[in-house]
Amino acid sequence: MRRIIRGPLVVLAVVLVAALAATACQPRPAQPQAANDLLAEVLARGVLRVATDPNYPPQSYLDEATKQWTGFDIDVAREIARRLGVELEFVTPDWDLITAGNWADRWDLSIGSMTITPERAKGLHFTQPYYTTPAQVFVHASNTSYRSPADLSGKRIGVCGGCTYEEYLTKTLSIPGETINFVIDGADIRAYPTDLYAVEDLALGDGVRLDAVITALPTGLEAIEAGVPLKPLGDPIYFEYLAGAVDRNASKNPVPFVEKVSEIIKAMHADGTLKRLSEQYYGVDLAAAAAAFKPPPEGY
Amino acid sequence: MVPGAVRPVDVADAAWGERQLLVQARQRRVRQLQLFAVWLGIIVLVAGVLVRFNLDVGFMTTWGWFILSRGVPTTLGVSLASITFATVLALIGSLMRISRSPILSGIASFYVSLFRGTPLLVQIYIIYIGLPQLGIVLPAIFAGVLALSLNYGAYMTEIFRAGIQSIGHGQREAALSLGMTPQQTFRRIIWPQAVRLIIPPIGNEFVAMLKDSSLVSVMGIWELTFTATKSGRPRFKNMEALLIAAAAYWVLTALFSTIQSLIESRLGKAHER
Repeated sequence: MRRIIRGPLVVLAVVLVAALAATACQPRPAQPQAANDLLAEVLARGVLRVATDPNYPPQSYLDEATKQWTGFDIDVAREIARRLGVELEFVTPDWDLITAGNWADRWDLSIGSMTITPERAKGLHFTQPYYTTPAQVFVHASNTSYRSPADLSGKRIGVCGGCTYEEYLTKTLSIPGETINFVIDGADIRAYPTDLYAVEDLALGDGVRLDAVITALPTGLEAIEAGVPLKPLGDPIYFEYLAGAVDRNASKNPVPFVEKVSEIIKAMHADGTLKRLSEQYYGVDLAAAAAAFKPPPEGY
Repeated sequence: MVPGAVRPVDVADAAWGERQLLVQARQRRVRQLQLFAVWLGIIVLVAGVLVRFNLDVGFMTTWGWFILSRGVPTTLGVSLASITFATVLALIGSLMRISRSPILSGIASFYVSLFRGTPLLVQIYIIYIGLPQLGIVLPAIFAGVLALSLNYGAYMTEIFRAGIQSIGHGQREAALSLGMTPQQTFRRIIWPQAVRLIIPPIGNEFVAMLKDSSLVSVMGIWELTFTATKSGRPRFKNMEALLIAAAAYWVLTALFSTIQSLIESRLGKAHER
């Protein structure tokens, strides 16, 4: 066999190595000398790539009739792109890939109702928040034994892994401009890839897999409207400021881009666009508090 | 015995044999009908149970076309591209694997061992979210095709190697003694015979890949699994959406399994008895 194949083999091996080298080099984006900041690149490209997850009505989902993107986040992203004067393109990575930062320039901006936290701010720049959302405890509709969130100490509580709700239960959550009372002690935390899994497990019955779920008030209310047997327990446990996010480790300097998007969001607060969209999707104005948000002096 | 006389026992044997063949053919048809009836029964039963337990048929009609029309082309495209690259990798890998050179053979066996010994999902994550740390950033679809190609290329390397090595030594010796060069021997004698053994398993691998391509949904590629989960989950209709995806995978794999067995019987024609 040796003499039969050695000749072609050397050629094939060279081809293989060359192919691997080519795949390794090819995807690196060509680096034009002129623009070394993200804002200039987005404007030059003419397309804003926004990461979102079509799992979260009423923030981001596919419309029943048209199968097109729709939702509060989607409309905010569209408006930002319109005011930047560029086309909009959605990409759909997993949520934990978005919050982790290090996006490898695969998309420019997250408009995904992301809560500003100091932990996330290590990997991401945050824009001016565009609205707030109440964090709410939900229990099964048939439950009568819990009167307030404090009754859930030591119970099995479903949250999305890496979300602020998990940090609330581990008492590590800190939100700028917000004093948080940690009323639930020693919860048996069940982390899920997304809130929706936790909601589904709670829907199986009171105490079947979970005793409670913490999620955004609008997300839980939306589930109840879809026929899921849940009910809110007590008042919201805290409020989150939800903002656009940009990767700190973008290969192009992201700061002018973050400032530009913040400026657009402030203008959308000032001219009532965000209030109108919030009332359209949530029935209430969740934007007002976000307009008044003052970032810490060192900025995000 | 009178010459030319037909012996009665021979006539009886032939007629009996023909009757037996007919009986066997009928028995096979009856058995196929029985199997078909059992399948039908199971499907009707399962469908009945699901509808009874509030399966939302309205959701399935509203979202079915979206799930299929967005999902199936991507699933097929990713699988076809990956099986093509995997075949090329397997050809190169198998030739390296059977080479006497310890370097080439070592590289190939290392490749096969590594990619068969680690989960495909881990390989996808390494390529998609691991490699960017080394400065290599692949778009999701490219990362998915690369992972599937490398993984299936490793499995298929062994298939190719077995196919090539199964051709008897006598074939090679005869070709060499006729004055063919080693390259001619491989191209004209060994390879054409090996291909007949290699092609049917490629079909099997393709059918398996159709299903494994669902793993690339974790990168946000809009293939069948992605479109199904993202239409079902926000509306709490997981069963409905996933049944549509499962049915589509089932039909696709059944279709390609049939094509594969047609190819197999066609390639086997010269060797039928």
